[in-house]
Amino acid sequence: MNGDPGEELVVDTGPLSHLAEAGWLGVLRSVAGARKVVVPDAVEYELRRGASTRPHLQQVLGTEWISRSALDTPSENAAFAHFSAFLVSGGRNIGEAAVLAYAQVHGATAVIDDGAARRAAKEAKVRYTGTLGLLCEAVRAGFLTLAMVSSVADHLMETEYRLPFGPGEFEKWAQENGAV
Amino acid sequence: MGLDRSSLAKIETGARRVTALELAQVAEALDERIEWFVEEAPPAIVSHRNVTDPGEPSPRIDREVELRARAVEFVSRHDPMLRKALDRLPVFSVPADKEEAEQLAHEARMLLGAEAEGPLKELGARVVRAGLVPFVADLGTESADAASVLLEAGAVAVVNGGLRVGRRRLSLAHELGHVLMADEYTVDWRIDGASTPDLREQLIDRFARALLLPESSFRDAWDRWLADKGARAAAVMAASCFRVDMSTLARRLLELEMVEGTQAAQVRTTRTTRADIVEHDLVVSDELGSGWLPRDYEAAVLRLFRSERVSGARALELLFGTWDAADLPELPQRNASAIWDFVS
Repeated sequence: MNGDPGEELVVDTGPLSHLAEAGWLGVLRSVAGARKVVVPDAVEYELRRGASTRPHLQQVLGTEWISRSALDTPSENAAFAHFSAFLVSGGRNIGEAAVLAYAQVHGATAVIDDGAARRAAKEAKVRYTGTLGLLCEAVRAGFLTLAMVSSVADHLMETEYRLPFGPGEFEKWAQENGAV
Repeated sequence: MGLDRSSLAKIETGARRVTALELAQVAEALDERIEWFVEEAPPAIVSHRNVTDPGEPSPRIDREVELRARAVEFVSRHDPMLRKALDRLPVFSVPADKEEAEQLAHEARMLLGAEAEGPLKELGARVVRAGLVPFVADLGTESADAASVLLEAGAVAVVNGGLRVGRRRLSLAHELGHVLMADEYTVDWRIDGASTPDLREQLIDRFARALLLPESSFRDAWDRWLADKGARAAAVMAASCFRVDMSTLARRLLELEMVEGTQAAQVRTTRTTRADIVEHDLVVSDELGSGWLPRDYEAAVLRLFRSERVSGARALELLFGTWDAADLPELPQRNASAIWDFVS
């Protein structure tokens, strides 16, 4: 469950923000286990930009076990350009495009929540998961309980994932389906 | 832009590589797209650039054409329906004389799904059926009237939104002519200029007039209005009904030998007044107005957005800022079974 050394998780701004807001950055570290947790330069840039209004992002920036990686090889830049074509406009969504580019070039798992980014990952055969996927992994590994993640899961399903589940229904579903 | 001078110098000399974040920042500052740095432009745009004198400032319309050509290429690459429309673009041989230009206009009307005779309304929506995606860009009065470029499949035209409605339609009809004759890249500075020496341009102008003012129905309507209401009213009504400008109307009357030179000059200087609109019960149209996009193109972008092939921000950019975020449809809820994709 905790991954092989050499495997990497490359995380987008959104999931980092959700985890930090819930006070679960440590959980991310535990779930990652032997896997390296990476943040591309574009995500770091988005975190810095958002940190003045959302202080929990500052906490992510100060986390030393998250490695920073600047995408600068020709293959990384080509992959970044490829994903940008679907996602980026102006300065928006550059974090997602960078996460997908890193994951593609390095065979890492992208941690992304947005629907278009997940679709782009699927099309490009990039491995991906999201905030809820990580939380479920944490529950399975015993770092969190189902009850603890229930309200964050409900919120994610209602907003970002557009899943037809009401408050409290995730917990029920997970128990019935043995998903965690 | 966040890139200091010494970093820039190092990148320029190859002493250090440019990062993805810097690429994004440079693209934003230049108002270009990140993928433009690594992807080739459509071949017709590249060859056009290569023949443009390097010292010459690139006309603004070239940039507008490139923006739209790349957008259409992107959308059609991922939307099979738009691609199918673009694949329909046929190639005709270049007309040798005015009769052949008239004949080509007749065939083009069939291609556009229009009747052989009568006014040709909604030209912008119709040309998409022939594989030409038209756009309107406000370029002001000092810029070109229109331009067109062939893509790997289909073509794109840009019409200057600074023109009046009749001239915008004429310009698009003219670009349709270029595209049907497989002209790779054309910038038209003054369409239907009084005395263009270029025979090909003259024949394309003829094509455009014949497309908008098909001889038989135009002649019948003109004769009827002339007999009922006189020459001035006939001009006002013909221009409104066929949605052409007075100068195009005058030229068509002359070339079909329906009027003499002095009458044509009178038609050319006729101005439709507010009273004309009321008294002749004219319909005021704003075809190809500023912010207009072809419906088929908008639909293709919406399909990409709905299927989450592109983000909302990218969809709005592909719609060239003519839509607000609130105009985009709300994405539907997923099926409950989709939850498995999110928990693993």
